[in-house]
Amino acid sequence: MHTIKHLTSVELKLITREPFTLLFVFVFPIVVLLVLSGVFGTEATEEWQGTTPANYYAASYIGTVIAALALISVPSHLAAYRERGILRRLTASSVSAQAVLLSQLIVGFLLALGGSLALILAATLIYDVEMPVSIGGMILSFTVGALSFVTLGLLLGSVVPTARSAQAIGLGLFFPMWMLSGTGPPPDVMSDTMRSISDVLPMTRLVSALQAPWFGDGVTITELVILVGILIIAGAAAVYRLRAADQ
Amino acid sequence: MDEEVISVQHLHKQYRDHVAVEDVTLSVRRGEIFGIAGPNGAGKTTSVECIQGLRKPDSGEIRVLGLDPARDITRLRQRIGSQLQQSALPERIKVWEALDLFASFVPGESNWPALIDQWGLTGKETASFANLSGGQQQRLFIALALINDPEVVFLDELTQGLDPAARHATWGLIRAARDQGKTIVLVTHFMDEAEILCDRLAIIDHGRVIDLDTPQALINRHGGPQRLTFSTDHNDLNWLETLDVVQDVTRTGSQFTVTGTGSLVPLVSHTLVERGIVPDDLRIHQASLEDTFLRLTGRDQMNGLAD
Repeated sequence: MHTIKHLTSVELKLITREPFTLLFVFVFPIVVLLVLSGVFGTEATEEWQGTTPANYYAASYIGTVIAALALISVPSHLAAYRERGILRRLTASSVSAQAVLLSQLIVGFLLALGGSLALILAATLIYDVEMPVSIGGMILSFTVGALSFVTLGLLLGSVVPTARSAQAIGLGLFFPMWMLSGTGPPPDVMSDTMRSISDVLPMTRLVSALQAPWFGDGVTITELVILVGILIIAGAAAVYRLRAADQ
Repeated sequence: MDEEVISVQHLHKQYRDHVAVEDVTLSVRRGEIFGIAGPNGAGKTTSVECIQGLRKPDSGEIRVLGLDPARDITRLRQRIGSQLQQSALPERIKVWEALDLFASFVPGESNWPALIDQWGLTGKETASFANLSGGQQQRLFIALALINDPEVVFLDELTQGLDPAARHATWGLIRAARDQGKTIVLVTHFMDEAEILCDRLAIIDHGRVIDLDTPQALINRHGGPQRLTFSTDHNDLNWLETLDVVQDVTRTGSQFTVTGTGSLVPLVSHTLVERGIVPDDLRIHQASLEDTFLRLTGRDQMNGLAD
């Protein structure tokens, strides 16, 4: 615990010196939220699931914060630690793979939380979006979703060969998902093909899990179970991968 | 002083497509600077990584401070320190943060501010890792390796990329660490470094230990004959060959070269003086560890003693 505490606090300090990550977590989602809400206006219609575009996007953009962080920033960070020998340096000083992953997970979760709160604040101030109907459900969905996606990012970062490839693969995964997971066009305006692709994307599950409590549809058990499944499988695979020092 | 702190018996390690370590057997005594020298790709780093428990050997037996790195790694890591080849720290971490962080992995109080002073990092406490010079980064790594006050310190390619002044300064600090009672295992492909610094060393090539001894003993054994050169007006010095230690006498103009072994220098000098020949340009040419190494590893392109 002592090790994880120190590792996490140093990681948090390092993140504040990392403009790329801060940009993706704090600036990018807010800018896109503002642009999309500005473009689509503030009229409540059926495509927007009966609410205003700003309201619709507020919930789904928490998903964007989580996914951007988890798929773009987290994997390249961990891959750089492996590539540059930082992980080896830590291992040689008795720091286990689990401790490294756990501290990265905590940092990722806190960043996602910070980014989401900044987003909600911006959306509230500018578009006067409604607050979530179920705060408790929101906290549950956010916690599960953020932990699950950051862990998925850690798995990605533990298998790719270099930090550069992590960034390429992360961007390659993020942008198509971002277009198709209800964070770009809402599902109701998608074609059948788009929607069937959308259905199998993990980010769609994340966004649905976040929208349900936000709009007052309770918590979606299916989505949460899938996200917990991703968390467990990706977490175990990442630990296994990092512990296999012999390559 | 002959207590054995590391014992390696028939270490073998294979990667998917090639054998990195064929068969390495060596032992390191407490309080010595022990060198592991060899050309690139000889299996040096893999060997010490197995010894430090960073890799699992395929076969062989390793004991470090009586512990098996494969099984007792947690206990062992508290008693060893490592400076790894090609390792790094996050670019934006500051010197003091790195020391403070690594100190937090060690049970008990750590005196890392003293290490800053000892390793010449004073004034650099708040500098980012990426902004340190190569020498400063290396000194920081050594400080990190010493942060748990280890009994055995592993240093892998310690002076790679350092300028001559920084190398000499580093050597002094390594000796200081040994004089504090630490055992040091130094991996290097610089033979001048091995010759100057190591009490004993193992020369590794193609994954095997070719020989293991003090630098001087290795030179004596494998360095080839010694040569003496001097000039004199005398034409015929072939009588020198009657001395047991002399193998050969050759002449080019007024310059003579006497080749031989053992106590060549005192015996030949004495005999010359006895006969009234007192050259003022007598020079001794003895193989350095580097020459010895090139002969041993067959890298001298003269078909040395390599198998």
